[in-house]
Formats: sequence, structure tokens, C-alpha cells
Amino acid sequence: MGRSWLRTIPLRVKVPLLVAALMVGVGTLASWLVLDALIRTQRAQVRELAAVALDGLAASIAPAVARRDVWETFDALDHLAARGEGLRVRTALVLLPEGMVLAASDPVRFPTLRPPPADWLVEPPLEPLRFDDARGLARAVRRLGGEDEPTAFLIAEVDTRGYLAERRRALLLLVVSNALLTLLLALGGYALVRRMLVPLDHLARAVESVRRGEEPDLQPARVGRAPEFLTLFRRFADMARAVRERELLLRRLAEEERLALLGRLARGMAHEINNPLAGMLTVVDTLRRHGDRPEVREQALAILERGLLGIRNLVRAALVDYRETVDDVPLEREALDDLQALIGHEVGKKRLRLVWANRLPPGPLPLPAGPVRQTVLNLLLNACRASPVEGRVELMARTEPGELHITIADEGPGLPPEGRALLHTPGEMPPGGTRGLGLWTAGRLWARLGGAIEIETPPEGGTAIHLRVALGRERCGDHGLLTTAHSAD
Amino acid sequence: MEAFTRREVLAAAAGLGAQMPAREPLRLGLTPVFLDNDLLLLRGLQHYLEAQTGLPCRLIKRRSYQEITVLLLAGRLDAAWICGYPYVQFQDRLDLVAVPSWRGAPLYRSYLIVPADSPARGLEDLRGTIHAFSDPDSNSGYLVTTALLLRRGERPGSFFRHVFFTYGHRNVVRAVARRLADGGSVDGYVFEMLREREPDLARGCRVLRRSRRFGFPPIACRRGEAQRPAVRALARALFTMADDAGGREVLAMLGLDGFVPATPALYAAIAANARLLAETG
Repeated sequence: MGRSWLRTIPLRVKVPLLVAALMVGVGTLASWLVLDALIRTQRAQVRELAAVALDGLAASIAPAVARRDVWETFDALDHLAARGEGLRVRTALVLLPEGMVLAASDPVRFPTLRPPPADWLVEPPLEPLRFDDARGLARAVRRLGGEDEPTAFLIAEVDTRGYLAERRRALLLLVVSNALLTLLLALGGYALVRRMLVPLDHLARAVESVRRGEEPDLQPARVGRAPEFLTLFRRFADMARAVRERELLLRRLAEEERLALLGRLARGMAHEINNPLAGMLTVVDTLRRHGDRPEVREQALAILERGLLGIRNLVRAALVDYRETVDDVPLEREALDDLQALIGHEVGKKRLRLVWANRLPPGPLPLPAGPVRQTVLNLLLNACRASPVEGRVELMARTEPGELHITIADEGPGLPPEGRALLHTPGEMPPGGTRGLGLWTAGRLWARLGGAIEIETPPEGGTAIHLRVALGRERCGDHGLLTTAHSAD
Repeated sequence: MEAFTRREVLAAAAGLGAQMPAREPLRLGLTPVFLDNDLLLLRGLQHYLEAQTGLPCRLIKRRSYQEITVLLLAGRLDAAWICGYPYVQFQDRLDLVAVPSWRGAPLYRSYLIVPADSPARGLEDLRGTIHAFSDPDSNSGYLVTTALLLRRGERPGSFFRHVFFTYGHRNVVRAVARRLADGGSVDGYVFEMLREREPDLARGCRVLRRSRRFGFPPIACRRGEAQRPAVRALARALFTMADDAGGREVLAMLGLDGFVPATPALYAAIAANARLLAETG
């Protein structure tokens, strides 16, 4: 989880962070090495100063210590501790072998001829110089007299706080300089990466322009001179050009398809009008010849009326679908019935059996008629195309409480997966080519109405498409844009 | 054995003809009875003595009273500023030349001092403590306290837990002020001078007991040499010190009124203490 989180950090932040982390690591190591060297140098210096000061003192006080001369020993230790330069001795004392202080530079703390605090007793092996940085001192010990029988020990506590302060100053200097350097490098890294990523930003803007259908700014001058970005940009420019050309092609294809469909519909309508026209002309002829006979006249007029009504219905239905602006009139039962006239040609051509079960209640329903009609028409046309000759095409429409249910069924070979996909998840762009345009249009319209689509393909064959939509939804105003996108599969 | 110098040989040769004044230097021994390490004082004293006596003057300093006393008795010095105690010890071999007068009299006291914050109220409170003496041949810095203890039936070695010598009254004050010692025996004159000149050091101490008055440390010469021209010139110079500007400067540095003649009776009390110590020691 942590790793995936790390991967989401932008490059322009990640690179400076990495630079800073690297600098902190390098700085820490370098600081440690410098401080270690400083500590070694300081300790060597203390050791040297202690050797000079204490070895000389040990030799000079040895006779006084041998006589147990308290004053002379004190005087020498006091002078050692009072020295203002070189080795800074905080406390010095001479310890007798029996564990008593002969004299100390601080007699209050170390009374004469009394045992010192336990930590001042000398225990073998003799350590000439021991550092105690926590207390800011070093303790030096010198043996007075012979190796085997020392007359006394000279012990001096050296003040090392000056050295520690110097060490702290060095550490502070290192930390501050490292921090400044790290900050500078991180800022530099940020600026550098930001500069390096400028072409990518430009590319991202160009991609966004392409996505919005705008003309992208693809001048290579904006990319700089890096060959990697130049190549990438050139290829993107090629791709964007190809996408634009493909889109133009699609648009032209859609237009041609629309014209073709219009032509087909016009041909169908002409056929539908032509059929009754022949009968009606025959009836007119009959009227002319036998119009004086009332029963013939009545019968002829009835046939004429039916024929004219059929033509009127057909024209009205066509007008509803193809007028320039679509009024958002509410859906009525008759609006669905009108569709029978529009698919009449397809049905007749294949001698299909149309089962029409429109059980919608009379009166307006709270749904826009346009998109519902168009969706159902597209699916009906698709069903007619899919059905075999003399096959059965069925429409069932009903309302349940708060919902409209419409089922379109056919006896075709079954809707292929691409068709299902177009219905269920129609994309923003129409599918390539002209195939599937009707299904894509139906899917989009129904989705905009907020409806659901279920597709059933029974094992015995055929397809049943169940449309379901809630009644009383807000009307969708832009469905008119797609009114020309009819297509049969 | 002393070799004759070229000057002495020449003087002797000249003396065969005409009487020439001897130009032998005046050798004066000094002990740490007064403030030591004061170069200005030494130079002032030397200049004054040379101007007054007309003799080259050599001031000879040693660490202990004993060394100066030995030099004096051996005839290596014309005179020496010694303590009253060595004087009474060798009274039969020494003559008094002059005695300093301090605060109107040739007298001083011995002080028993303790650290300023010491709870001690009397000598008895110092039993079992560490004590600093100045010098085993010092009256104020050793004999007075020792005699006091002897009269009480005590001895310094048993009364105190430990005693040590600092060979200087100023060092006794330092030892007590720094708490190296729980008490000390010191020259009252030196302590009073320190109160004026080094108040920070003296403030670390408190006077627990003042002794009776004793004869001030004298300037002495070998018996029978008081009438030697050099010694007489020295005595004259010392007695007239307050009359001379240079001399008054030296006296001001020493904190003294001047120098006066004295008789051995002035040191009777010290002699009594010395006898007591000799008898019981």
C-alpha cells in the first residue's frame, strides 16, 4: 500500500525528495566523519597537554609528596588549577597509597587526609587519561614514585567543556550548511524537473484539446530540443491528425447513412401510399361507373376513407419523427400504435407476423413521446431486419405502478455480443462504420431517459429486449439531436 | 673559605698609605616576616639603605627563618630581620640593631585564625582539626600557639589531627581561607596588613583568638658587631627612616611607623615561651 502511495507522488516532487534524502544521507555520513576526526584531534591535544602539564608537575612535587608536605603539594596543585591557559584543570589532587587525600586544589570538596569519594580511588589497571563527555571532563592519573611502590597518585580532572562546545559549534555548522545545501539542491531539482516536464505538460494540454475536439497546439518549438520529447511529440501529432481524419470520415459516413435511410424510408412510404392508391383509383373508377347505386357508393366511399386514413396516418407518423423541432409532447398509447405504419413496409416485405399488444392506458403518460418512440422504432426496425421471412415480431407495452415496460421480441438468430454492448454501454462516439448505429442510438436515448435495458436470448432462438423506465422522470431535451440517426442493423 | 676580591686587595694596598673608607656591601637578611614577593618594596628599601649608608646594599632572602638565622650566625650577613623566637634562642650570640614600631609601639600579637564560616568559638573547638603553622622558628606563627597548648597540658601533634608549615604568614592565611586547614597561627601584623592590601584573601578568615602583645620581630646582628661602621650606618638609616621621603615611602609600603632602639627585655615573654617549649619538648 505504501509503495503504491509512493508511486502516485508526481515526479516533480519525487525527484527533489530523492535528492534531499540522498543529501541528508551523504551529509550525515560526512558530518559523522568530520566530527569523528575532530574528536580524535581534540583528544590527542588534551592527551598532549596533559602529558606536558602533569608529567612536569608530578616530577616537581614528588619530593614534597614523599615528605607528606601538605602545603607545598597544595600550592603546586592550586597553581595548576588556577592556570588560565593550556590545559584547563578543574580539580587536581594527590592521593596517598592508603587512600587518603594529601592535598587537593579544592580542599572543601576533598579535605586533607580524608578519603576521597569512591570514584576518585585509583584502581588498576592505571588509565592515564579517561574521557567523560557526559560530564564535560577527562580524568588524568599519574603515578608518583616507583612502579612497584608508588608514593602517591596525582589525579587531575581536566575541563573539556571548551572542546565539547567547539564540537557542538562544528555540528551546528555542519547541520546548518547541510540543511541549506539540501534545500538548495532540492529546490534546484524541483526547478530542473519542472523544466524537463514542461513538454509533458504541453502534451497533456494537447491531449485534452484533442479530447474536447479542439485543434491542439502542436508546434515542436514548445517541446524544446530533447530528442525523446521531439519524437514523442511528432508521433502524437501524427496520431492526432489520424484521429481527426477518422472523425471526419465517420461524420461523412453518418451523413451518407442518414441520406440512405431517408431514401429507404421514402421508398417504403411511397410503396405504402402506392398500394392503397391503386385500390382507391379502382374504387374511383367503380364510383364513376356505378356511383348511382347507393350500396356500391357507400362501399366505395368506405374503402376510399380507409385508404385515405391509412395514408394520413402514415404521413402523420412520418411528420412526428421528421419535423425539424420536436415538441416534448407526452407519450400516448396512440403514439406507439403509429409505429406500425412506419415499419409496415419492412413487415410486408418479409411477410412478417406482427403481434402488437399495446396495453398502455388511454391518455398522456409522464414521459416524452419522442425518445420513447424513436427507441422503440429503432428496436422494431432492428427486429424486422433480424427476423427470418414470415417470422414473428412482437411488441408488448404496459405500465406497472410508476414504470413503463416495453418488450420487443423477434425470431432472429439472437443479438450478438457487440450489439448487446452497444445497447448497454453506448459510448460518446458512434461505432465505427454504419453497422450498429440504430442500436447505439436506442441505447443512448434510453440511457438518457434513465431507463434500463434487459436482453433475453432464449435457447430456442430469437431475442427479447425488455425496456423499463420510471414514469414521471424529468424530460431530456437533447434527444432531438439524434432523431436522424435511425438505422437498421 | 672566602677569597679576597680584587677590590679588597686594592683597598688593603691603598690603606697602607692613606685611610680609605671601606666599600664592602651591606648584607641584610630578610625573612618572610613581612609581605614577601614585593619587588617594589625590596627595591625601595635597597635604594633607601644605599642612599643613607653610602654602601652598596644586598638584600638576601631565604624561605625559612632557620636559613637566615644560620647565615647571620655564620657571619655571612651584617644584620638580619629575624623573628623574636630565633632572637631569644640565640640571644647570647646576637645584639639588637633596631625594632620596627607598629601602631605606636614595637609590639605585635599572634592571631589564631579559622575559616570565615567556621563554627569554632575557642581553641578547644580546634581539637582534632588540621592546623597550619607558619614556620617552626616563628614566634607568632608557631611558638605562641604551641606554648598556649603546653600550658594546657597539650601538644600540637596530639591536640591537632595534623599540622603543617607553610613557611609564610600569607600562606597560612591562604591555607585557612581555602579550607586546606581548619585553623592557623599567623602574625597579627601581617594579617592586619592583608586586611588592607588583600581584603578578598583576608575575608576568607576570621580571628578566633588574639594573643598578648610581644616584641616585634627585630633587626639583629652578631654579638659585638653593633659598633661596626656598616651596622651603625644601617641602624642610623633605620632610625631616621621617617625623616626621609624615600624612607617614608618604604615605611608606608610596610605599614610601619618607623624603627626604634630596643633592649632584650622587650622579648622576655617570648623567651619565657621558648623556655617552656625547651623544657617540655
